[in-house]
Amino acid sequence: MAKPPEPIEEVMPQATWVVEAEVKEVLATGPAPAAPANAKPGATSVGYKSASQTVKLTVTNVLKGEKAAELVVEKPVGSYSLRPGNKGPFLIDASKTILGRYGPDSWNLERVKSAMK
Amino acid sequence: MPIRFNDTKLGSLYTNFEAQKRTNPNLKLGQEQVLQLVALVGDGNRGWSANKVAAELAKPGVSRDAQIALVKGGMTANEKKDLAAILDQGTVPLDPSAKQFLEAVLDRSAPQPPPPPPTNGLAVSGDQKNGLTGTTKAGATIEAINISTAPGGRLHMDDTSVIGKADANGQFNMAKLTGDQAMREGDLIRMRARYADGTTSDWLTVKASGIAAKDTSNATVALFRIGMADAGGGKVSVSNINSSRQVSEPGAQLEFTNKRTGEKARVTVTETGGFPDGFKLNGKPGDSFAVAASDGVNNTAFTESVGNVTVSGGAPQTTDLIPDPALHADELDSAGKPRFSKTNFTGPLFIDGAKPEDVQQGQIGDCYFPAAMAAIAKQNPDAINNMVKDNGDGTYTVTFKQKDWSSGRFKDVAIKVDGDLYSRSYGGALYGHSSNSSDPKKMELWFPLVEKAYAQWKGSYNEIGNGGHSSDVFEAVLGKDGQDMYISTGNLDRVFDTIKKAVDAKQPVAAGTYHDESKYTNTGVYGDHAYSVLGYEQVGAEKFVILRNPWGESEPSGNGANDGIFKLKLSEFGKLYQNLMYTN
Repeated sequence: MAKPPEPIEEVMPQATWVVEAEVKEVLATGPAPAAPANAKPGATSVGYKSASQTVKLTVTNVLKGEKAAELVVEKPVGSYSLRPGNKGPFLIDASKTILGRYGPDSWNLERVKSAMK
Repeated sequence: MPIRFNDTKLGSLYTNFEAQKRTNPNLKLGQEQVLQLVALVGDGNRGWSANKVAAELAKPGVSRDAQIALVKGGMTANEKKDLAAILDQGTVPLDPSAKQFLEAVLDRSAPQPPPPPPTNGLAVSGDQKNGLTGTTKAGATIEAINISTAPGGRLHMDDTSVIGKADANGQFNMAKLTGDQAMREGDLIRMRARYADGTTSDWLTVKASGIAAKDTSNATVALFRIGMADAGGGKVSVSNINSSRQVSEPGAQLEFTNKRTGEKARVTVTETGGFPDGFKLNGKPGDSFAVAASDGVNNTAFTESVGNVTVSGGAPQTTDLIPDPALHADELDSAGKPRFSKTNFTGPLFIDGAKPEDVQQGQIGDCYFPAAMAAIAKQNPDAINNMVKDNGDGTYTVTFKQKDWSSGRFKDVAIKVDGDLYSRSYGGALYGHSSNSSDPKKMELWFPLVEKAYAQWKGSYNEIGNGGHSSDVFEAVLGKDGQDMYISTGNLDRVFDTIKKAVDAKQPVAAGTYHDESKYTNTGVYGDHAYSVLGYEQVGAEKFVILRNPWGESEPSGNGANDGIFKLKLSEFGKLYQNLMYTN
């Protein structure tokens, strides 16, 4: 569902890791969520969701949290999916779940750095 | 013996009438058919087409004298002979008014004595198939208002339009109301004559007939004008909160059903479009009443309700001027209670008028709505500037257009809201907001108020926050039919031409992405999302589409400031977007 990303000020406190990273591999994909009921053809913001994924990230820069070269994290059921090569700033919580409605596309790096100050 | 016509077109049309007479022996030629005939002879001397003459003859308000002069001025001698032959030898009878018209065209009729003035100064005769026909004082202008359609808008009962002028004999014909006021079968038309000295006749109300086989338009009800207040003793007083405008058409019956007790009561709408003095229902503060209407022809069993009106609470007045639309279900806690409270925003309604960059989508899945509003703000800001009015008492009236599917016409729907907006604990509106400020005293209000009014109209933020079409919003704001076009690699030129044509004509356009989110990560474009199409560019053979993300940020890299506005090659646009939404 194409709501805007959550305000980063609300999400940042939940982040254990803030890293710049690239998806190296999709290790697993969960069951496909049901399509929204009564979705009209051509309508937008209907609320389609992508399956959860377990992905391995190659970390290029750690902005917050323990240093790591690789992280295996969970992408929850939501409004985006990941493929190898996708990259950007990832906010990750203590349970190693990616935060932000659109994962690495939720906020650009400048915005993330600004919110960390 | 068949008539030998000089004018072949005239001959052909008359032969057609003769053929109709053979299957319908009762056929008589009336004013409409005679105007078709004379349109073919009024073209001769002027070099006009028959269509042009027909259009001039049918212009709203054109007097009978003017019609006769128009025909005589364009008629040749041979055509005059043809009309004389129809009059003298024709096999299809003419009704009296049609015969009199032809005689006048041929200068045969004796000067008509002025008709006796109607007792109230204005009289209407016949049906309204071709408009309003009647008599009044010579030279008087005819004013009218459709009081069946008026309750849906903002007209007062005497906000008339001039629809015609009486000729030297005091006659007027084919006088018509147009637009939202156009007459439908069964509509009540309130009219009067205004004389040369500025005085007027008495009001006359006509029930339109002869326009369609059946009256299918029920009485319109302005629910937002029905006020209910605790009158004590188990009674609720019912009044028209804007007594200078109508709740419904005079004579309509409204049925109120108390949803708590099931008790029903009916009332007849007064001549002024309101309620009888002292009208009361059994009920108490907080009771909600379903309202059903009938014009005596439609919905006579009162089975179709037009909506609900609630009695305001007996508790001391709060600052909440108007009940607000409920939150989206996503913002309710597990017990169903709101997780956000409201703040009263008092900023300016507009700062330099409506602009696309004012629009910022909030935390609600209604991207189609801000995308459409920003597109309208780009192409037709006056439509927005005119749809929102500050009432000066902390409330605002937002007027949408609603299509009446039975008539195909759009009518006004006025929604009143106040400045209370759901907001975050640390400030700023939760749903749609404006880019200039999050301060409740400074934020530009037009977009969040229009979104709130849309939610109010549709039922709640939940009703508008689970997806939709921008083309529906174009219809609701502009009163024009919306269109959807699917985009594929095979029709990109047609897609670009459609964008170009709409943008050049100052019509809004929006585009929607696919639901398959897997193709969007890292593109700067988001799936299941609507974008405003702000324009196009063509550089040599390369075509570009200029878009805006209604979030007011987040766009493909390389497009300057992160303001949500970006440019895509047409080929890339074709890959990422699935449909185009625009108006006719």
